[in-house]
Amino acid sequence: MSIYIQSVSHISIQKPLSEEWMESPVVPDSSFMKSQEPDYKLFISPMEARRMGTLVKRALATSLDTLRKGGCEMPDAIISGTGLGCVEHTEKFLNTLIDNDEECLPPTSFMQSTHNTISSQIALRLKCHGYNSTYSHCGTSFDSALFDAFLQLSLGKIRTALVGAHDEMTPDYFLMLSKLDFWKTHFYDLEQLRRGEESVSISGSCSLSRRLSAEKQESTLCELKDMEMFYRPGILQSQHAINDILLRNNLSIKDIDAVVMGLSGDRDNDDVYYELRDRAFKNTPVLWYKQMFGESFGASSFGVYVGAECLRAGRIPQHLFFFPEEAEKFQKEPRNILVYNHFHDKDHSIILLTK
Amino acid sequence: MEQLIEELKKEIIEVLNLEGMTPADIDENAPLFGEGLGLDSIDALELIVLMEKNYGIKLQNANEGKEIFKSVKVMAEYINTHRTK
Repeated sequence: MSIYIQSVSHISIQKPLSEEWMESPVVPDSSFMKSQEPDYKLFISPMEARRMGTLVKRALATSLDTLRKGGCEMPDAIISGTGLGCVEHTEKFLNTLIDNDEECLPPTSFMQSTHNTISSQIALRLKCHGYNSTYSHCGTSFDSALFDAFLQLSLGKIRTALVGAHDEMTPDYFLMLSKLDFWKTHFYDLEQLRRGEESVSISGSCSLSRRLSAEKQESTLCELKDMEMFYRPGILQSQHAINDILLRNNLSIKDIDAVVMGLSGDRDNDDVYYELRDRAFKNTPVLWYKQMFGESFGASSFGVYVGAECLRAGRIPQHLFFFPEEAEKFQKEPRNILVYNHFHDKDHSIILLTK
Repeated sequence: MEQLIEELKKEIIEVLNLEGMTPADIDENAPLFGEGLGLDSIDALELIVLMEKNYGIKLQNANEGKEIFKSVKVMAEYINTHRTK
């Protein structure tokens, strides 16, 4: 069965609920970049919103927007990936726990701090009684959610799925990660970073919802042809996995127009991609997206989004090319894009998108 | 009593995150639940926490809440009589 990505909506560093990043992306100028918020009143009434944390509001707005774009009122399944759930409410609850000596704890913060709040709030709003699940697997939360939807759609168990990736970065959480030296530096220069002279990681918040379905529509971005997830592969195993996925889809590496990689600017993260490029994608243009959307547990969802949007648009904007010289040479309309992500070199994923 | 009612209205707006509302928007005699502000059971829990934290009142019997939370005025009267801080 064919599976299609019908519509995508996001709230991030870039202009919310928009594809403006394709033409004029916001260039991050600090390690801590805040998301741009849309007008939530367009999606949620103030009485509904008063108990929701920022992340739940974002998730609802992107979910409702993507369903509207795809002309779908009720998905068969709601599947979300979130590394830490609603951090804002978790912090509020834990701070109150300390401040009030473990007494007089606010119920709203407690309820909203659980990871599955996001999927359940979407279901409550849509009155959707279908399959509802949340994956919390750090940086592969989204990939796991997508894989779940992919398998269920492949098996014909569902016809449509709303798949989201939702994670937020709060100032306190950013500070804690800074103390752990997670953000390599506060300096950010794209060109230095490309030349490997700088090791930088910018933080991002992620709220991205997409609708998958078994039917092709006018709004379809691309086909989600295949995907694979694997644990702690060596470089040879990664190469084998790439070859396998291509082979079973009657493709060769030459058919891949571009490979989207989760390059972040942090050498500890990027070395895997450099090695993979040298071994498997020597003649394939490399695209990146974390320079625009930042690093977060849900960041890999932007990789799929970027690939899908390029296939829909029939072109790849120059700023997505990791190596500018590849951008100059690239003239054709992309037909096949591979998305490769890894998290701490433990969990890897390959996603094949086709026009 | 007027001062306590005003204070209570501000606390309710803050605790229940009633965005865009001011104390003047809350009728002190209007029901808090169902009609009036249209609060629900989660809000009732938040109000119980508010009474304990800010006024040192611990509600022992859940049924008491029905009476106490009838309106802001009734709530203020109860707080005025039973407060320990």
